[in-house]
Amino acid sequence: MIKILKYSKGSKPLYVLAPLFKMLEAVLELTVPLIIAEIIDNGIITGNKQYIIKLSIQLVILGAVGLVFSITAQYFAARAAVTTVKKAKKSLFEKIQSLSFSQLDKTGGSALITRLTADMDSVQNGINLTLRLLLRSPFVVAGACVMAYRVDGVSSLVFAGTVPVLCIIIIAIMSVTVSLFGKVRGALDKVLISVRESVTGARVIRAFCKEEETEKEFNILNDILTHFQLVTGRVSALLNPLTQAAVNIGIAVLIYTGAIRVNAGFITAGAVVALYNYMSQILVELVKFANLIISITKSLACAKRISAVLDLTDETSGNSPEDFFSDSYIEFRNVTFSYSKGAAPALKNVSFRIDKGDKVGIIGSTGSGKTTLINLLCGFYKPDSGEIYIGGKSISGYSPEELRSLTSVCEQKPCIFKGTVRSNITLGNTDATDKEIADALEISQAASFVNEKEGKTDAVCEQGGINFSGGQRQRLAIARALLKKSEILILDDSFSALDYQTEAKLRNALSGVKGKTLFVISQRTGSITDCDKIIVLEDGEADTGSHESLLESNETYREIHRTQFDEEAEAV
Amino acid sequence: MKNKTTLLKVLSSMKNCRLQIAVSLLCSVISVLCALYIPVTAGKAIDLLVYSKPVDFTQIKKYIIVIVCLAAAAGLLQWIINAINNRVAYITVRDLRNKAVSKICVLPVSYIDGASAGDIVSRVISDADQLSDGLIMGFSQLFTGIFTAVCTLVFMVRINVTIALAVVILTPLSLLIARFIAFRTHSMFRAQSESRGKQTAIIDESITNRKVISAYSAEDKFISDFDELNDEFAENSLKAVFFSSITNPSTRFVNNMIYAVVALTGALGCLTGNITVGSLSVFLSYAGQYAKPFNEISGVIAEFQNALACAERLFEIIEARPDTPDRENAAELIHAEGNIKAENVCFSYVPGSKLIENLNISVKQGEQIAIVGPTGCGKTTIINLLMRFYDVQSGRITLDGLDIKDIKRKSLRSNYGMVLQETWIKTGTVRDNIAIGKPNATDEEIILAAKSAHAHSFIMKLPDGYNTVISDDTGGLSQGQKQLLCIARVLLSLPEIIILDEATSSIDTRTELKIRKAFKKLTDGKTSFIVAHRLSTVKNSDLILVMKDGNIIEQGSHDELMKRHGFYEELYSSRVY
Repeated sequence: MIKILKYSKGSKPLYVLAPLFKMLEAVLELTVPLIIAEIIDNGIITGNKQYIIKLSIQLVILGAVGLVFSITAQYFAARAAVTTVKKAKKSLFEKIQSLSFSQLDKTGGSALITRLTADMDSVQNGINLTLRLLLRSPFVVAGACVMAYRVDGVSSLVFAGTVPVLCIIIIAIMSVTVSLFGKVRGALDKVLISVRESVTGARVIRAFCKEEETEKEFNILNDILTHFQLVTGRVSALLNPLTQAAVNIGIAVLIYTGAIRVNAGFITAGAVVALYNYMSQILVELVKFANLIISITKSLACAKRISAVLDLTDETSGNSPEDFFSDSYIEFRNVTFSYSKGAAPALKNVSFRIDKGDKVGIIGSTGSGKTTLINLLCGFYKPDSGEIYIGGKSISGYSPEELRSLTSVCEQKPCIFKGTVRSNITLGNTDATDKEIADALEISQAASFVNEKEGKTDAVCEQGGINFSGGQRQRLAIARALLKKSEILILDDSFSALDYQTEAKLRNALSGVKGKTLFVISQRTGSITDCDKIIVLEDGEADTGSHESLLESNETYREIHRTQFDEEAEAV
Repeated sequence: MKNKTTLLKVLSSMKNCRLQIAVSLLCSVISVLCALYIPVTAGKAIDLLVYSKPVDFTQIKKYIIVIVCLAAAAGLLQWIINAINNRVAYITVRDLRNKAVSKICVLPVSYIDGASAGDIVSRVISDADQLSDGLIMGFSQLFTGIFTAVCTLVFMVRINVTIALAVVILTPLSLLIARFIAFRTHSMFRAQSESRGKQTAIIDESITNRKVISAYSAEDKFISDFDELNDEFAENSLKAVFFSSITNPSTRFVNNMIYAVVALTGALGCLTGNITVGSLSVFLSYAGQYAKPFNEISGVIAEFQNALACAERLFEIIEARPDTPDRENAAELIHAEGNIKAENVCFSYVPGSKLIENLNISVKQGEQIAIVGPTGCGKTTIINLLMRFYDVQSGRITLDGLDIKDIKRKSLRSNYGMVLQETWIKTGTVRDNIAIGKPNATDEEIILAAKSAHAHSFIMKLPDGYNTVISDDTGGLSQGQKQLLCIARVLLSLPEIIILDEATSSIDTRTELKIRKAFKKLTDGKTSFIVAHRLSTVKNSDLILVMKDGNIIEQGSHDELMKRHGFYEELYSSRVY
């Protein structure tokens, strides 16, 4: 919670003003009995009608002023909560955008979504309620205690005993429920993932007739969530009855000690009445307070979860490389990497050198490490050991921004964002001119279908690009990669959804693009034979060479080529 | 009023909890009586101090025991009430969530294609959460509030009927104000929920596609888009939170006015001797007590507005129109033979813009049909129609001579096995993912399927082999590996009709060749549809449908099509190797 409160900067005055106005309102409320006493003592007893009317009008004015104070306080509280959470959301969103991919894999996308949505809502609610009531209730309780002391020091010991008991009850229940609420939230995360999958997997679920199983699995998770909610509910439901019982027992004790002291003549019966009234005041206030505590505990649990994400620090690459520079443009030196501890390495001791402007082909079986190699080159993941150089310099010497401006990747599974064709393809180069956009669309063979769409480059793209076919999405992604001005262009199996004709045209157009170091990941030897260098990956191990030399020396390459050559021979 | 119907819906979804609600109500009555009786007893004890000298300790002790017992009883009852209310709220919301998800499972695919996953998730998660909070608050404060008000009213009437009546007539004012504000804020809460949904959608999109965003250094763009929605949400939220929070001070103000009126009339009554000073002071304290529950109730009403606005969004999913139900006498097709015909089929996703027109296909049992053509020509659409993800707009598709609309959807789909280009991995173990179509498969069968799909070796390299938990956003599984898992699924489930929609698009040719053997075994004697752009994959098909712009422009075997020197030949010879 404290971490979240640092986002209150700039709205600090609100945090003071909201409770302040609440307190002013409470003070006004406390003066009402005094005015009534005045009406009785000086109005009714002296029979002064004018005076009674005057004081009644005063009551009305007090009410009106109280209304203004209270609305002001509500406004400040709402504003403080909303602006603080707005800032916290912004900073969490930015934090998520800066998390490393291994952290992202570990935390999981759905969990982050809940942090940013449901958890934040709960925190906002918590801050709002706290500002509205938290100061008011302790203020009233403290006020009642002070007044009690003034009436009778000895009897106020009952207050001195009751208040700590109340504190202990509140703290004990809060500390138990905070961790329980954490569990509820954890269960909610699982429910969320389940809902999400029932939406994203709609086709597969229906194709395999898994509707009932999906439902059943959801029901189980939902039951677990409900179970934790009920347990938590039962514990937090103790708060109100326990505190009230404590106060009522306090009242009993008060009356008994009062009786003794009245009997002994230390205090008057009137004093006991007053003490009793103050105790009742505490009681009324506690009812409000108990409801508040539950909301606060909830938002504390959520704040904890949010802080956990905000506290994630980028793992530093640790040891700086022995050699900071390389005499090649791009070099992989003994790079080993695995996605998670315990998993077999995706890349083993990979070494190769690339010159600037080279066209590089990467080939290998499914799961041989092609995409992993690209992930490392772009700095999405850090190698477990070994060193990677770009532009003759270790990539640990680049900031993530610099590194990303060097490379442009057209991803395997094209993802199109909600927006327009233009907003999608200019993602990496928002200043692209119409001419540049047209050129990129032309090269990527996307011009024809984009021009057919209503609004052309301003045609709407639905989330996930569902209003485009797989092949169209891929071509848009290629246009996007082309538009980004970078030294290195990487096409990660970007033609997989394209038909031959389109692919041939695209390949032809691409060969006209000059001045970029090009990486082409492909499954076909045919599309990389003209590359300056070919990297063959097999089980995470790399071999480099030219088409001819690899045919000579590399068994895997030969086999890949043969399967395709046979296919070709078969086709003719 | 929309609000009212939502309320009715919420209430009717609590039907099963009627008994609990009744118990909770009964307990509320008793606990309120106990709570109100404590001050009365305390008052009697205090009277003893005032009027008896020396103090009658035996009597006082009796009263004190009564107070302690009442306090204990009230506390226990209250705990029971709270526990029951929690139960009712959580169970109701649990059931609503279950309903929502079971609805999601039967929604037409078109509904899901047209909605954002983030927004649906936000409805089922956040909105449902807010509803349960609202329900709990409503139950725990509304009931006790009302009973407290009723009981104090009874006490007041006993003291002075006329002033009591004045209070009774004036009090609804505060309820009116609460209602007025609630009515006004409903649309604000709705706006808040809507911008929450929008924000969730962008959060969802940007988190799932983090890699692309950071590859293009587009973080700033997304951050600024997010900021815009964040501002919008904050603005709507501020409005909703603030305006709804006016309720409480406003009703308190009304109550204060009532208090002033009682004080004035009472005091004037004292002058004329209609009421004694003592009764006036008691009356005033009751007037204060009487007003308190109304404050609480109005606060609850404000909270409840939000809950109702959220419930409305949740109900929109629950009440969304499901796929048209299977016809009453729809046939159950256990083992289809696989004779498929499309007759004059017309279909388009968007009304008005044509896609598939007058499609005619005839497929016999055991044939392999290839669908080829340029990207975006409608190949996948045919698959959507065959499996009834979408219904044809005119014409009909038959399976074994039956219109597929006359076959139970489930039994139709269970005859099909499909591998799509878009892979989907369910959060769960590798084993569960493969066995999705055959949950009772033995380990041997699963491993065999994985081996035939050439997935076994990479699965064994995962940290826990077949027990490794994977999900769609797991790093470390390549697109091709995911596709291999999806292939293993179909190899395990042995369907009657097989659909491979670019099933090997992310798999290298070497592995593909090996898998093709497995496919051959799988499709042996069975009807299969293959969508592919690698023409070598489909060359041996019995029938090749060449599609362009939603129409089948050529059909026939490879040799026939090559002889025709048409579009197919052009496609085929443009391959670059």
